Amino acid sequence: MDFGYIQTILPALLQGTVQTLKIFVFTLLFSLPLGLPIAFGTMSRIAPIKLLSKAYVWVFRGTPLMLQIFFFYYYIPIFTPIKIDRLPAAVFTFVLNYAAYFAEIYRAGIQSVGRGQREAAKSLGFSYWQTMRMVVIPQAIRQIIPPVSNEVITLIKDTALVYVIGVPELMKAARDANNRDVNPMAYLIAAIIYLLLTFVFTLLSQWLEKRYSRHERTDAV
Amino acid sequence: MPILAINNVYKTFGGGVAALNNVSLQVKEGEAVAIIGSSGSGKSTLLRCVNNLERVTAGEIVIDGDVLVTTTPGGVVQYPPDKEIRRITTKTGMVFQHFNLFAHLTCLENITFAPIKILGQSRQQSLQKAHELLEVVGLSSKANNYPDQLSGGQQQRIAIARALAMDPQIMLFDEPTSALDPEITNEVTGVILKLVQQKITMLIVTHDMRFARSAATRLIYMDEGKIVEQGPPEQLFENPQSPRLKEFLSSYQ
Repeated sequence: MDFGYIQTILPALLQGTVQTLKIFVFTLLFSLPLGLPIAFGTMSRIAPIKLLSKAYVWVFRGTPLMLQIFFFYYYIPIFTPIKIDRLPAAVFTFVLNYAAYFAEIYRAGIQSVGRGQREAAKSLGFSYWQTMRMVVIPQAIRQIIPPVSNEVITLIKDTALVYVIGVPELMKAARDANNRDVNPMAYLIAAIIYLLLTFVFTLLSQWLEKRYSRHERTDAV
Repeated sequence: MPILAINNVYKTFGGGVAALNNVSLQVKEGEAVAIIGSSGSGKSTLLRCVNNLERVTAGEIVIDGDVLVTTTPGGVVQYPPDKEIRRITTKTGMVFQHFNLFAHLTCLENITFAPIKILGQSRQQSLQKAHELLEVVGLSSKANNYPDQLSGGQQQRIAIARALAMDPQIMLFDEPTSALDPEITNEVTGVILKLVQQKITMLIVTHDMRFARSAATRLIYMDEGKIVEQGPPEQLFENPQSPRLKEFLSSYQ
């Protein structure tokens, strides 16, 4: 192994990692909460809201993420007066895209909580939103954690897509180094960095899962 | 004044199935009224209408002097605003066939949950009451267990305690023993019989004839959405008047 060479490319790769983490963190920060109103929208009794929410999910899950990145980066400045930088354009697209996936996960989680739980809450005087907040969502979280973790790990890897609009993240840094030096070492190190990131979030999701399964049978009676 | 007055209630489900067909029933304070009848006779639907888990198609329901629903002579069904509905239905305590304990809460938390969140009781106040109720249902040792760690009979006893914690004017039991193994129904019916002795007003829907006979101060037989016959349990069991009740009872011999 040529440690001298690694030392020359590492700073650029680490800078790319910082950009990757930025996209990752900002995407989660906005898409995790945004998924919730969309999930309730898809379950709404008001037909236009339901239709609109379902259409949203359909469009963002039904078209390639890369296409969405191109679309928002190149066409927002054309059709609106908004000037948008590469990184915010990328984050914006990721937020809209991941919110659609999270919405479906939330919906499935909420619907997995039995009707009996809702009826019991209603019979005790809880309103619809109180029931959601205090009874359904706390139980749905347990169901939601594994698929959300899946998406989170996919997101770490999906951030690599934004090199197509030239955001200097980890993938682009590795590609640049490879193209310049014709040496696959940059890809190898990038892979290790991606693996470390996914490893950390796998551990985190396992811990969360354990924390939220307290009420499940631990000892038979 | 009766605690519960059901006047000319109709309930038709989508598809035109008439679950309740002009049912009228009054429950006075301290009465334990049991409703028997075959599956699909409308008895559970009646209970669910009283608790607003179903909405009536026509008729009137008055709980402890508060009008839950009424119907104008022109046939318009009128419910009060949601908040008022919740205030009124909180006067009823519902016990479900499948217990429906909150799975994410311990037994103790299941009992104190609504008194704290809905009635605004202090933690201390609700805890004290919860421990008393756990004693009544004989499950003080399970206070900190989760429902999933309890047997069906134990879960149902916690569910009864949970409903009682709200100090309801009337308890509604929707087939409380139907989901239980026969050998453990006694632990649940035992608790309910204890409540009958304490003169707690209740309306019980059940398939357990022995239990209906021992618990009820008045027995009602429903068939095809109508009350066919009612009276003291001994009278209905030993001297049924209508051919349908005779036939129904003979299937239980």
